[in-house]
Amino acid sequence: MQKMYKRSFDQIQAIVADTERFFAEAKIDESLRMKVDLSVEELFVNMVSYNTETVKDILIEMRSLESGIEVSLTDYDVERFDPTLVGEVDIDAPLAERAPGGLGLYLVLKMADSIHYEYHDRKSKITFTNRLQQSD
Amino acid sequence: MFEIEFNDSGEVAVSGRLDAAQAARAQEFLDAVGDRCVLDLTGLEYISSAGLGVLLRTHKRLMVDDSGLELVNVNKHIADIFRYSGFDKLFVIRAA
Repeated sequence: MQKMYKRSFDQIQAIVADTERFFAEAKIDESLRMKVDLSVEELFVNMVSYNTETVKDILIEMRSLESGIEVSLTDYDVERFDPTLVGEVDIDAPLAERAPGGLGLYLVLKMADSIHYEYHDRKSKITFTNRLQQSD
Repeated sequence: MFEIEFNDSGEVAVSGRLDAAQAARAQEFLDAVGDRCVLDLTGLEYISSAGLGVLLRTHKRLMVDDSGLELVNVNKHIADIFRYSGFDKLFVIRAA
């Protein structure tokens, strides 16, 4: 699957529908859906929210792997921002010290089995994989 | 499809997908809640960090008056997200 999406949260519904269709067509185990949906949304929302200097669409690609899936999101005309280098979130902090925000990329890093970042020619590409584990 | 409404028990029933596109609607609803609040998550299929932010913001506001949010009928997938986020230590959570 390879598709461009407008830079809007309104596109999330279409992304979810396309992901569901791809899972069915590629016969990918549905138990991976929650992790994939979450990671795609968090990365897409991050691109929409923080790269406001362009109107270029965001490319999402999915391909099936043996017992899993590989997903890439590519943003264009963007400054370097490597989400794999985002710091830890203190999930043990008491309520008074917890603030909304900052959890999205942390969750992506926790959910993905592998994650890789590339940047060149003002093009930012993040690729992650999710594979079926015995516990899934 | 996302829905948030009071059910017959006076709890707030949340269903569907609470993602970044729906977070503002959920926040607007919960901002009008002024007392201890039980969220029935029976129908909640999915939550992202935007939805988690709504729950945390509301919980913090209500905890000022020593009340807060209680999350009930939480399915395994949502419970996993709460655990990854450390929300299992911040909220009273009851499994489905």
